Amino acid sequence: MIDFRSRLLATLHRLAPVFEEDGVMVVGSEVPNLLQPAAASTLVVSQDVDVGIPVDRLAAVKERLAGVEGLRPSPEEPSVWVPESPALLEVNFLGLDRATRGPADTYVLDDPELPLMVFGLLSLLEPGPRVDAAGLEVPLPRPAGLLLEKLATERSGEKGDRDLLVALGLLLVAAPADLGEAEQRYRSLDPELRQTIRSNLATLSLLEPRAEMPDPRPHRERVAALLDRLERHEVEQ
Amino acid sequence: MSRADVLAALEERAREVRARAAVRAWEYRQRHHAKGVWFRLRRLLAATASAWSLPEEEARRLVAEGYEAADVGALLEPPKLLVVVPEERLRAIAAREPVELRLGPELLAARCLALVPFRRAETPSTPGGAAAAGEAETG
Repeated sequence: MIDFRSRLLATLHRLAPVFEEDGVMVVGSEVPNLLQPAAASTLVVSQDVDVGIPVDRLAAVKERLAGVEGLRPSPEEPSVWVPESPALLEVNFLGLDRATRGPADTYVLDDPELPLMVFGLLSLLEPGPRVDAAGLEVPLPRPAGLLLEKLATERSGEKGDRDLLVALGLLLVAAPADLGEAEQRYRSLDPELRQTIRSNLATLSLLEPRAEMPDPRPHRERVAALLDRLERHEVEQ
Repeated sequence: MSRADVLAALEERAREVRARAAVRAWEYRQRHHAKGVWFRLRRLLAATASAWSLPEEEARRLVAEGYEAADVGALLEPPKLLVVVPEERLRAIAAREPVELRLGPELLAARCLALVPFRRAETPSTPGGAAAAGEAETG
């Protein structure tokens, strides 16, 4: 049985050619894992890796994908690359468009080889520093933007709860400066998104623990502290 | 699957995301009405370190002492008496039962709850203070 971290790192190494393209970054639930010391990957166990591609880099990324081995496009959904071995994870490619503002701007980027879902809220992500994952420099977003994106995304049910627990994972690895940055960026968001973020934080505080995800119960006070910080601005405004 | 089918499936997902955004906009406009009550209750509970079920007479005694009942409790059906109290005061009440902090059957069935706020939170929990967390309708 191959452990999760080994599968994650092996998958990222296969994607190395794509990571050479400017603006490409890992954007999903794997980010908290990779921000842990030595990419320990103990926070969130997930069966896929989300990779964001700036829409204006799609042509260049497609060329680089030619150098990726061990993964191939799913016939049902070409933006999903499935592993040819159980030692790897599935990869989901998503479009990043800085021109979008929110979920209402979500669209499909039509491309004959790699059509992409472009989720409007992913425009909250900004490239951050690369982190070392077993010798590979992996591009990640700045934690503040990803934290806000996870909290602002409107989902329900199990998927929604897991997204909120990924946000908790980010909270656990975020530096004080990251939270300060999140607070600043929060102030620039539309009132609806701010309300969703606060509502989702309150929901996160009351979630049941789930296997292979961060347990929210010991961290409720941290969540409450972030809510207080964000609400301070609502009173000011 | 043909390319047209692939694109149709992706377009459907995008439509669903945009539809949820429209629902969110509606909910935001409803935040002062019934939809907003649940947010206010969750917000109050998020600021709470522990919740305890109390006999009604004990809860009313706390209110009489000046511990304020959170307004959101009166907006629920049936209404609840939600009193924010410090842990020291709560410890003096023998007939208290812990309630799991989750929007589950146990908490929703309780008629009178004492809510102990996190110590670091700025939520006033002294007699005469406002049970502020969850009461400020912001945004």
